[in-house]
Amino acid sequence: MKNWFVVIVLFAGMQLHAQMDEEVLLIARNTGEKVVANGDTIRTMGFAFSLGENPDVPGPTLEFNEGDSVEIDLWNVSQGAPHTIHLHGLDVDQENDGVPHLSFDVPHMEHGYYKFKAPHAGTYLYHCHVVSSIHVQAGMYGLIIIHPPDGSKTTWDGGYPYDISMSLLMSEIDTIWHNDTILLHDHDPDVEVHEVELPVYDPQYYLVNGLSDGQIPEENMALNTSVGAVNYVRLINLGYKGNRVIFPAEFDAEIVASDGRPFPTVENSDTVYIYPGERYGVLGTMPAEGLNSITIEYFDLNTAELEDTQEVPIVTEGYVSTTELATNYELLVKPNPFENSFSIEADLKEKSEIEIVLLDLRGNIIDVIQKPKKMVGSVSIEYTNPTLASGVYLIQMRVNDEVRLNRKIIKN
Amino acid sequence: MLHKAFVCILTLHLFGWSHAAVVYDTVYINKGLITMVDGSNHDYYSFNATTTFETTNKRIEIGLGDSLYLAIVNTDAVVHGFDVTNTSSYSTNIPATDTVEVPMKFEDLGVYIFYDNANYPNFRYLGLGGMIVVDDFSGTQFYWNIKDHEGDWNDSLDAGWTVDWNDYYPDYFTINGYSNPLINDDPDARIVGSVGETMRIYISNTGEGIHSLHFHGYHLNILYSSKYPNHVGRSKDTFPIESMETLILELVPDKVGEYPVHDHNLVAVSGGNIYPNGMFLTMLIE
Ligand SMILES: [Cu+2]
Ligand SMILES: [Cu+2]
Repeated sequence: MKNWFVVIVLFAGMQLHAQMDEEVLLIARNTGEKVVANGDTIRTMGFAFSLGENPDVPGPTLEFNEGDSVEIDLWNVSQGAPHTIHLHGLDVDQENDGVPHLSFDVPHMEHGYYKFKAPHAGTYLYHCHVVSSIHVQAGMYGLIIIHPPDGSKTTWDGGYPYDISMSLLMSEIDTIWHNDTILLHDHDPDVEVHEVELPVYDPQYYLVNGLSDGQIPEENMALNTSVGAVNYVRLINLGYKGNRVIFPAEFDAEIVASDGRPFPTVENSDTVYIYPGERYGVLGTMPAEGLNSITIEYFDLNTAELEDTQEVPIVTEGYVSTTELATNYELLVKPNPFENSFSIEADLKEKSEIEIVLLDLRGNIIDVIQKPKKMVGSVSIEYTNPTLASGVYLIQMRVNDEVRLNRKIIKN
Repeated sequence: MLHKAFVCILTLHLFGWSHAAVVYDTVYINKGLITMVDGSNHDYYSFNATTTFETTNKRIEIGLGDSLYLAIVNTDAVVHGFDVTNTSSYSTNIPATDTVEVPMKFEDLGVYIFYDNANYPNFRYLGLGGMIVVDDFSGTQFYWNIKDHEGDWNDSLDAGWTVDWNDYYPDYFTINGYSNPLINDDPDARIVGSVGETMRIYISNTGEGIHSLHFHGYHLNILYSSKYPNHVGRSKDTFPIESMETLILELVPDKVGEYPVHDHNLVAVSGGNIYPNGMFLTMLIE
């Protein structure tokens, strides 16, 4: 009897799923582990695609095309409170909105199915809405990106084409909120209000895509772009602080969209203020090779006090198309990645004073490869450094004291 | 008949006013106690319609171009102040147990905050901030005067102690003086409407903090922003609002349902360690 029941349920499920363009399984866990910038491992709750995966903070990014029929299968394997998925900004119907008592919640070892049609191309979020103050801080959130119906690299149907895109999801971690007494709070799903312990929120870690401070260069997080490339940077705040995001002036940032809708008029501003739950779309282009950064400030919403600053590098290397390579200087680095040594071939069409340095992604000089020297023609330089730590570096050529070229290189 | 009506409208148009009226109103500065969502009471002040203290500040609604003669009655034993945001100064003082009448004129669509500027920001923080709504809209209207409170500070400030605003950490969050679920009983706050109906929500932030109001279910249009006029016309689901800023949002629901609206600073959807008891209410669209 039992087996028959399972078969019938499976069959009914298959029928339901038959017309979906996209199906996603998200598993809600309360056994997440996250290494924070000081090296400590803290407990988190979060979402993962499979049981074997650690539910990272933020959760996996979900990408769909506008018009897709989507079904998210939320499987709660967490022993504790029920969970939900609120589809933040997607304007789904009440049944699929993920708010307990207004929509369904998903208890331990059960599945819940969220169905919706992907709306306007843009940037959205998903997060648990059960005692959301705690479950969002715990890590139960992630990004939803909706592309135009044709899936093209365009901000929206009929919008701006771009070459490179990057999402910067800002949030924070207060490790006190990650103690078991908070994460494993008692929960009676039959009552609408819950007495919970909410400590004073005073985060130690200010995150960009789940990383902070030294983790950003360690994980090579950067806007990797080229001269003239159109960059589309999605800014998202799902923390409990305000963000001030500052682009370099030469990026010529244009804010073109917010909350999944185009602006009626583009706003030219290097500084973008972004508050909890908001999303912004920013277009920009780098005019020259080099190393810059996007500065992200975190300020308190009650006192406006600056709490922290994070820097995301912009690495501009090469040109968006070879026809634009109107330079008198060429630089070839090989092999890349390298083990202990590499060679640099430079082609100098004018006699100039050349200096070549090795930088880390934060712009610190690690070594001088070639001291300033007047050179012309084909130049070959060998560089060996067996003590260099593994990671991503930049080789920067300065001509007559000006930065002319950057080449990214990876040490194995 | 038609001809006559046309002439009448034309004449009004030529004189540059269509509905302009002269409005006389009175507000009383009252002292009382605000009852928070966990039952605790804290010192509070409010601009009310009578000498009886109410948690919700009186709201003044006028049309575009109207003249407003507002009498402010100070029932308190100390001097209070008066001013209106985004206007050329209507600033004045009202001595203890005295009355001052302030003549004002409002030409443009907007929400203005009238507030106590004495001992700033203390009396305004203690509750003395209400909204003047200037609009000719005849559809369904809702009003949210949002505020944060650090309960103990109300009592300290009222007792004349000083506080360090750099340490401000509010523990209660209200709309028109109430938190979820009580705020859903306020028909001026709780959005009830139908699919296709055009509704306007008038919002003022008379607290200290910045709040980021997220709507489930719908995108809304910004019709007015006191601090950022360039935001007008944007369609969004999340609306940050700074201290002493005002907004007018337009909602035209495209589907039925009951959906929350809440501060997405998720600390502010709690109150006294109870969830969801802060700046949170629901909309009911039938
Ligand atoms: Cu949850
Ligand atoms: Cu949300």
